[in-house]
Amino acid sequence: MLKAINITKKFGALAAVDDLSFEVEEGQVFGIAGPNGAGKSTLYNLITGFYKYEGKIEFDGQNITGLPTHKIARLGISRTFQIPQIFESLTVEESVNLGGRFGSSGKYDSGYCDEMISFASLEQERSDKTDLLNLLGKKRLMIAAAMATKPKILMVDEPMAGLNALEIKQMTNLIKKINQDLNITVIIIEHFMKVLTELANPILVIENGSEICTGTPEEITSNPEVIACYLGDTHDA
Amino acid sequence: MNAKSMVTILAVTYGFLGILPLFLGDSSIYMRILTMILIWSVVASCWDLIMGYAGIFSFGQVAFYVIGAYSSAILSVSLNVTPIVSIFMAGTITAIIGVIIGLPCLKLAGPYIALVTFAFQLALEPFLKGPLGKAIGSGGSRGIISVPPIHIFGMDFSSSELVPYFYLTLVLTLICSAVIVVILKSHWGTAFLALKDSEDFAASLGVSAFKYKLLVFAVTSFITGLFGALYVHYVGILSTRMLSMEVFTVLLIMIVVGGIGQYPGVVLGAVVTVTMNELLRPMGIYRLLIMGGMVVVIVLLLPDGVTGLIRKFSVFRMTKKRTEQLKHRNETHESSP
Ligand SMILES: Nc1ncnc2c1ncn2[C@@H]1O[C@H](COP(=O)(O)OP(=O)(O)O)[C@@H](O)[C@H]1O
Ligand SMILES: [Mg+2]
Repeated sequence: MLKAINITKKFGALAAVDDLSFEVEEGQVFGIAGPNGAGKSTLYNLITGFYKYEGKIEFDGQNITGLPTHKIARLGISRTFQIPQIFESLTVEESVNLGGRFGSSGKYDSGYCDEMISFASLEQERSDKTDLLNLLGKKRLMIAAAMATKPKILMVDEPMAGLNALEIKQMTNLIKKINQDLNITVIIIEHFMKVLTELANPILVIENGSEICTGTPEEITSNPEVIACYLGDTHDA
Repeated sequence: MNAKSMVTILAVTYGFLGILPLFLGDSSIYMRILTMILIWSVVASCWDLIMGYAGIFSFGQVAFYVIGAYSSAILSVSLNVTPIVSIFMAGTITAIIGVIIGLPCLKLAGPYIALVTFAFQLALEPFLKGPLGKAIGSGGSRGIISVPPIHIFGMDFSSSELVPYFYLTLVLTLICSAVIVVILKSHWGTAFLALKDSEDFAASLGVSAFKYKLLVFAVTSFITGLFGALYVHYVGILSTRMLSMEVFTVLLIMIVVGGIGQYPGVVLGAVVTVTMNELLRPMGIYRLLIMGGMVVVIVLLLPDGVTGLIRKFSVFRMTKKRTEQLKHRNETHESSP
């Protein structure tokens, strides 16, 4: 469904993404792991057209390399950001409607936007300005707005960062529901191995912009190279 | 602010201004002040739309106003276009130039946009005074004299017909204000705000920054150019003196007084600022100093201008209550395990 072919992104001398290839299949929860600075968020920025890059990305058989971000969104790829992005000037409802209005390829469907607000448990905060939301609320809102675009793929970037144990459980359930109940393909970048292995299969592990290995949760957690570079120096797992 | 409050404030303010000629119609001084309140309120509204809502720090608004004035003057004087047509052509020309200025601004961050657009204003004066300007009929440093008045329904609208001109301006003011409200409350307005708050997130939700930023340049420069044109047929003469820093400063004061991004606060700001400016005229050179002091005080005490003041006391009590409720809720939520 989404296919990256030898993509490379250099910032000056640094190759943040270095000759990476992978393929995400429909219905998967595709995990991406790797230490800080491995190039995970940059990879999202390439897929969603924020930067120019070498190589090629195909979505549903269509070459999306070089398309502007808003067009990629309308084709059905939507995302959240590692550092929560919200529209302080808008309410929760207005933010979600914005996704529905601009990001979906079909006609604007306000009923579906309402559904996404309740789906993300934001019913109570519907008319609130978004800067009143707490961290979990902001993350839910990014997901609700992204979902309002009726995506085929939802890409989330470190959705658990900064959340407490209870909130992590709620966020995990939300992502599971998106994949299982709404049948949407999910890509998830997650630093917490425990969460990632519970949610995702397969998982791609990258370091310094290149692939270390791809495999099932069992395969990657027992891979000595992964343990050395990732699990070895952080104790999140 | 919701559409209903916007329309109410606009209707009350312009309605009040609209009945004043019944009492002040004989006084040419008051009629001139009232007319300038209308014109500046619209020009400042456009600036608020692009700066306060779209978050684009365009400092070229005075330049667009002057371009509108020159375009209509040249069209009517050199090409004999009838003024009621030439003012709309001038608006269109200004919109096209606005979009051209907007293009390099798409890739620039805030302060650089301010620099580019302000440089554009600075470049306009030598252009109009120089040989290129003269070639298109700007009249060089002498400017253009005897710009014909707007003539419709067998009537002249100019500075010798102050009351009719005021009402013509009022009609166009109401139309342009309605357009601004509709834009702000439509999905365009939401797109402007979203792009201002987070361009990345907005783009990833399908909003084209390219389209909506150029759109806001086009709309605001059209209306600004139209009002520059309307003004030139009123005063009848035109020179590059219109590009003065004072016009720029006073417009900026209107926005600050009204509250940036608090439309229609800027309309109230225009009423207050033009009135103050006139009252302070006897103070001579101290006038701008006092106005400047006023801005400092407002920025420090009332960051949302008079709109913030109104909000503090009335309609918005409810929202505030809700805000506190929520803060409370979040605090209790965060302290739970
Ligand atoms: N816009 C940018 N300009 C320069 N360097 C960048 C930019 N974005 C990311 N980088 C660099 O690219 C590398 C990968 O960053 P990132 O993709 O954010 O890592 P991760 O998300 O895996 O933690 C880092 O070294 C980072 O400093
Ligand atoms: Mg990251």
